[in-house]
Amino acid sequence: MGPTHDHLTEEIKRLRRCMNDLVGVVGLAAVWTGRAPSQIVGILLDSLLGMLLLDVAYARVEGPDSKTAIEMVRVAQSRQPPTRASDIGDALANAFGGDPLRWPPSARIRLAGSDVSVATVRLGLRGDAGVVVAGTQRADFPDPIDTLLLRVAASQAAIGLQEARLLGEQRRLAHELDQRVAQRTTALAAANTELKREVTVRRRAEAALRASEHDARLIVDSIPAGVALLTPTGEVDDVNRQVLQYFGRPLDELKNWVASDIVHPEDVPNVVRRLTHSINSGEPYECEHRLRRHDGRYRWFQARGLPLRNADGGIVRWYILLTDIDERKRAQEALQRGEAFLAEAQRLSSTGSFSWRVSTDDITWSDELHRIFELDPPLTPARIRTRVHPEDVHAFDTTVDRARHTGDDFECRCRLLMPNHSIKHLHVVAHATRDREGQLEYIAAVQDVTESRVSEEALRDAQQQLARAARVTSLGVLTASIAHEINQPLSGIVTNAGTCLRMLAADPPDVDGARETARRTIRDGNRASEVVTRLRALFGRSGSTTEPVDLNDAAQEVIMLSSSELQRNRVVVHTELAAELPPVFGDRVQLQEVILNLCLNALDAMRSVDDRPRQLVVRTERDEGTGVRLTVQDAGVGLDPHAADALFQPFYTTKTGGMGIGLSVSRSIIENHRGRIWAASNDGPGASFSFSVPCAPQAVSRLGGPRIVHEREVTPRAAADAVHGGVSP
Amino acid sequence: MILLVPSLVSVVDDDQSVRESLPDLLKVCGYNAEAFASAEEFLASDLLRETKCLIVDVAMPGMNGPDLQRELSRRRHAIPIVYVTAHRDETVRPRMLEQGAVECLFKPFSDTALLDAVMRALRAG
Repeated sequence: MGPTHDHLTEEIKRLRRCMNDLVGVVGLAAVWTGRAPSQIVGILLDSLLGMLLLDVAYARVEGPDSKTAIEMVRVAQSRQPPTRASDIGDALANAFGGDPLRWPPSARIRLAGSDVSVATVRLGLRGDAGVVVAGTQRADFPDPIDTLLLRVAASQAAIGLQEARLLGEQRRLAHELDQRVAQRTTALAAANTELKREVTVRRRAEAALRASEHDARLIVDSIPAGVALLTPTGEVDDVNRQVLQYFGRPLDELKNWVASDIVHPEDVPNVVRRLTHSINSGEPYECEHRLRRHDGRYRWFQARGLPLRNADGGIVRWYILLTDIDERKRAQEALQRGEAFLAEAQRLSSTGSFSWRVSTDDITWSDELHRIFELDPPLTPARIRTRVHPEDVHAFDTTVDRARHTGDDFECRCRLLMPNHSIKHLHVVAHATRDREGQLEYIAAVQDVTESRVSEEALRDAQQQLARAARVTSLGVLTASIAHEINQPLSGIVTNAGTCLRMLAADPPDVDGARETARRTIRDGNRASEVVTRLRALFGRSGSTTEPVDLNDAAQEVIMLSSSELQRNRVVVHTELAAELPPVFGDRVQLQEVILNLCLNALDAMRSVDDRPRQLVVRTERDEGTGVRLTVQDAGVGLDPHAADALFQPFYTTKTGGMGIGLSVSRSIIENHRGRIWAASNDGPGASFSFSVPCAPQAVSRLGGPRIVHEREVTPRAAADAVHGGVSP
Repeated sequence: MILLVPSLVSVVDDDQSVRESLPDLLKVCGYNAEAFASAEEFLASDLLRETKCLIVDVAMPGMNGPDLQRELSRRRHAIPIVYVTAHRDETVRPRMLEQGAVECLFKPFSDTALLDAVMRALRAG
């Protein structure tokens, strides 16, 4: 009787403690809400130390930047001297290896001079946020209750860490977006200022031109200029002295101007046409043309003629005023050429040019080239050479040497190492010519192609950011769902533990009832950790992996995970999954992200639907040809037919709360799998989003037979080809 | 000596661990308790008439908690309701209280919080 009674008392005590601890663990969530991951882990260590009567509790968690690790340790009060976290970490790494994620669930090792039983649990939804190691000298550690407590505590921490991680990620993303917006705004403002400046400069130039025209007229009117007098029929009658001096010819020769070279041959037809028109109509004559000076040079003149009329109104004579506008005209032409050159330069952007007279090493450089090399004039080959990247100097010398001796055209790419250690990529194309003396001269274009390389990288970077933003968005939606999944079993734990304690406190204690509730508590505890295990399977792999994926399995996992979110929004999910669907090759997690995005989109499309069931159908089927197709069909608001193309563009959204990136990220994932994604309106209400990806090559070749791919038959090459678009040899 | 018949508290929740654990807790505390897996099942049961307090999950497949509450008031058989939910959405609680619930508890809730709510519900009934 005595021993049995003692045993019972002992069991009651043990159960009571266990239940109290469980309630305590579940209550931790309230304490760490809104805290940083390291604080959460700190609180976790403190409570584990007390609950499990540990000698040491150690944690190693991922730091805020995901690169560094934070180590923490808590030791029992009685232990002396104080222990450093890194010492414990080193001892554990010595015993189990450097990767904490591979440490065994339980073991007995030598730690700080004593034999210690340790148990390891992984932290975080992905199981990669860190580990907690509990250690005690007790030989029977961890017993099932210890394990249960550790697991429930880790499940609890998973929610806290997930929320903290999400919060951090959202903050970082918001900050990044803010910065990008600010940068873009600054850039736009700068561009705007530049534009305004250009407009002002242009206006000023125009005004100056107008003023100079005005001035020119005044001058023409007031100073002696060339004057010619014509008969009413247009023959040269007389000219003033300035005209005779200019031409250096007698008047008789001038009279025969149409048949001579007095007027530039190219201008004669125009002059004749205009003059004939004025003489016939009596309208003032105006023409710009070139006249041959006594030294054989043609200069531009403006000719303006007015008829002198008699009292009857008949024309008796034409007065032609000849104004030398050669300089203005040439300036104008130069200006036009300059403008054309400028436009061309802008179009080519970052292209400089030079000419190189080989025999004298005489080089003419364009301004752009000075900018590219960041050298002040004058440029010399020797100075240029100092900018060439050390690894490219040999090639540079060889190219110059060969050009000097062969006189062939050449093209080369080379890098510059700038004083600030940045690198520029240049593309040089040179064409060899011979001048009139037969001397070799190169005309070359030098293009700075760094920009295009950088923008390619920026594009990749932006795409990754989009993908991350999309992930944060879907994780945000899922955090509620995940918390729901874990809170269900936790609720069972707390209620069972409360019941158990009350049964034990009764007089007489209901030990059988308490045992039953304790059994259920343990079951719920395991259920909570199973939820985390399942989530880890979904989120666990980071980085791209290629493997045979069963789209039916993948879809069902996504549906299971988002079921509470869908249910909360009263969405009824139907699955129509094809039997014996051949596997596809790809990244399971990425494909699940696409399925999840499509489901969340469907959910959003049905939020405002109240007059019909909010039905979501997830369907898989064989595509015509060689693919597998997955369709998510909703009964929502439907598609705007005009927007069907824009749907998959980044930042296209019709949702007030959405960022419009889910579908564009989905498209890039599907296209990376050599598949395609599209949207279509249903016959009834709503829309259907589908994607199709090719199945594994082996599965295709065996259409008639079993459609199962055995991993060992799949070569890595074929797997890579299936995803990246290559063709198997 | 008067024998008091314990009040019947009915639990409607699609989650099995709640259906198993809550009735035991209620029984230990001196109540009669029954569990139902759905609102439809509860509405079809004879125990509907005897139920003095309802503990209902807010979100369930098919008819959800508020639907059940509306159906009961349509039948002119209002029962004091304590809602429980695993969705930690702070806007839910005020909405449920406004619609006449005695309490709305977030899972996991403590046994004392639940018993306190049940006691208030029975007083209200």
